[in-house]
Amino acid sequence: MMSARIGLGSATRRVAFAPVIGRNQTVLRTLIPKRGVQIQSLPPSASEEILNAQRLKRPSSPHFTIYQPQLTWLGSIANRVTGGALSALLYGFSLAYLVAPDTFDSAHIVEFVAGLPDYVKYTGKVILAAPFTFHFWNGLRHLSWDMGKFLSLKGAYRAGYAALGATAISTVALVLM
Amino acid sequence: MASSMLLLSTLPRTFASATGRNVLRSALQVRASSTTQYVPGGPYTHSTAIIRGTVNDPVEFPHPSKMHGSYHWAFERLLAASLVPMTAAAFVTSGSSYPVLDGLLGLSLVMHSHIGFDSMVVDYVHKRKFPIIGPILTWTLRTATVGVLVGVYQFNANDIGLTELIAKVWTA
Repeated sequence: MMSARIGLGSATRRVAFAPVIGRNQTVLRTLIPKRGVQIQSLPPSASEEILNAQRLKRPSSPHFTIYQPQLTWLGSIANRVTGGALSALLYGFSLAYLVAPDTFDSAHIVEFVAGLPDYVKYTGKVILAAPFTFHFWNGLRHLSWDMGKFLSLKGAYRAGYAALGATAISTVALVLM
Repeated sequence: MASSMLLLSTLPRTFASATGRNVLRSALQVRASSTTQYVPGGPYTHSTAIIRGTVNDPVEFPHPSKMHGSYHWAFERLLAASLVPMTAAAFVTSGSSYPVLDGLLGLSLVMHSHIGFDSMVVDYVHKRKFPIIGPILTWTLRTATVGVLVGVYQFNANDIGLTELIAKVWTA
């Protein structure tokens, strides 16, 4: 009688006719108000910030770490790395000569290199010749692409192997010079 | 007695319900977990969102210019092609006999290196994604190239020159 006036009639009826197992849960759900959920009022312009915050948390699938090694992209990155290393050497030496011309002039450098043991000289020659020759021959391969040659997969692979072979031969030739 | 025991047993279940769990999780969300995560898109500050605007805004493209486009490409390839005969010539002659060749080779090498480094900066540290480090690196590279040009000139003028140096060091 009392519950009908307050307006909980349907709720208590639901509880009374609910199965025995879940009855206590339903009682608690209707009697304990849902104060666990908090509502925050936001303007529509806040959507961009929320979207970008979500984008930051999104994971990225592996790509660079799982790509199969191939002559195409290995040759390309090797061209860039060898070019960068040789240019860094050129830049480093030129800036060093600019800053301290007396320490880095040719006489000192030749003297320093002449005083090194033979195996260091040979290793140094290989370390300098191999990137230079690879960058040279792969550069020619790249220029031939720019002229429209070797643009098929077969052509690129053939030119790539030819460049690697030429690199090996010319490195040996340079080191023995 | 039995009803009160049933009440106690069902109490924890309300906290285990969906709403209760979300409240707990959001309360416990720690900032530290996001610093160890991989963040796609590179460094990010709140003032430079990774993607500007919403998904309905068009992509911003750079202003088209032949200077930075086709002319740059053509110049790069012509320079690289010219380096081939110059290097071959430097191999067979000595630098002191042909100082003009030596100077041209030095200039071309520095320009070739600058264009290469610039491509690396544009590829890996583009100013669209790295609005502060990108331009800093670009201008550092330009300053360094100017310094290198001066250094190469000084070396070729006051010392034996690049080709001669390489020849002497190689046979030292």
